[in-house]
Amino acid sequence: MNLSVGDLRARLMSDEGVFLLDVRPSKEFAAWRIEGKRPLETLNVPYTRMLADAEDDIPAAAAAYVRKNFEGKIPRGSLVVTVCAKGRTSAFVAEGLRSWGYEAVNLQGGMLAWGNHYESALVVEEPDFAVIQVARPARGCLSWIVISGDEAVVIDPLRNPAPYLETFRNRGARVSAVIDTHAHADHISGGRVLAVELKAPYYLHPYDAIHPMDMLPGKLEFNFLQEGSSLSLGRSRFEILHVPGHTLGAVALLLDRRFLFAGDTLFVDSISRPDLGGRAEEWTPLHHASLRRLLAIEGEVLVFPGHFSSAAESDSRGAYVCSLRVLRSRNEGAKMALGDPAAFATYIKSSLPFFPPQYVDIKRINTGLLEVDEDRASELELGKNVCALSAAKSTS
Amino acid sequence: MADIKEDRLLDASGLSCPMPVVKAAKEMKSLQPGQVLKIVATDRGSLADIPAWAEDTGNELLESKTEGSSYLFLVRKGAP
Repeated sequence: MNLSVGDLRARLMSDEGVFLLDVRPSKEFAAWRIEGKRPLETLNVPYTRMLADAEDDIPAAAAAYVRKNFEGKIPRGSLVVTVCAKGRTSAFVAEGLRSWGYEAVNLQGGMLAWGNHYESALVVEEPDFAVIQVARPARGCLSWIVISGDEAVVIDPLRNPAPYLETFRNRGARVSAVIDTHAHADHISGGRVLAVELKAPYYLHPYDAIHPMDMLPGKLEFNFLQEGSSLSLGRSRFEILHVPGHTLGAVALLLDRRFLFAGDTLFVDSISRPDLGGRAEEWTPLHHASLRRLLAIEGEVLVFPGHFSSAAESDSRGAYVCSLRVLRSRNEGAKMALGDPAAFATYIKSSLPFFPPQYVDIKRINTGLLEVDEDRASELELGKNVCALSAAKSTS
Repeated sequence: MADIKEDRLLDASGLSCPMPVVKAAKEMKSLQPGQVLKIVATDRGSLADIPAWAEDTGNELLESKTEGSSYLFLVRKGAP
């Protein structure tokens, strides 16, 4: 008995109760786990312990261990979802628990499938105009499809082209540009693959076609995004704002002075880190100036970011958008950016999360300097993104 | 670590999760503390799981390496 990742997501976003029994090794559980909109009841019982005395009957051994050590801690009468890396071992555990009368199901495909799950949501709908959010909820990655008339652009497409292609099949819009707001470090961009599939030009700022740590030019074809230029889309127009800081070639796209696609510069509840190029001190003042520039945009502007840290940042539709006015008053990083440069630099320094070592390779892939197979790509992308500053250590 | 010779070899090639760990645990029971089990596996999950199993069960991972499409592990049995 399996539960699909889509069905689990639906349960987590609604009020239906779920109890998670995660059987991965404790280190992997500590590094990355399934989260919902509210705190989730989760128990980690590593299968490496659970099955240490197993004979041939794996489900029976798992159930016996759980009953012996965790009887009473796993609720009866609510759905128990078993989770492992790929959904094989957890299937045995669910089977064992069911034989003891638990209502247990296995998360099909495990954390691998959870991380590769995409969800689309219509965020803005006006006559002849729409913005669709395409997210990987488990990783906190966001991308955007903007449609005006019969023309569309894709901003920061994630690795799998399928959800975008499906949207365009259903809507029939012609894609005029595939854009990366910057060279991503936390996930493999779907930009170049999607651009080829859609026969559309791929756009990037030239500074981000250079790997910042290798100091090597990337091997990729792209059209230049640059400060002061614009891209038209149906009756609308994007202004390109060069906002270096998170990367040297980061851009934000301002559509008709009312929608700001902020990439990884500004998020709903936080700001991005400026250290992923290995030059935090030199890049922090750039980041400060870029943030101030975005925060100073006048009028009623809606911000569409590249990431979120917690599902609590989403609205009732599951959309991670926020008005710039609200963001100025609520987002701690934004408030710090509006203060003086020295305090901002101190704030940045005290709020930097750990630097995932795989981010160097991911950026190599995104600049065409490295090619990997599907297994390796999935491995590199395991876990939640850490592109934002961590709020926990922030100064106040 | 090339000088460490195993006392027992477990070939878990072709087996997928959770079998490499289950077989390793079974095999380890017949060894004496201090003796070394060599495990050969092809399941990619073994890379994280065999070291985690060794740590969880009081055994010592001496070596972990990749050879072609195989993953090799040397695990010394801990004191009971």
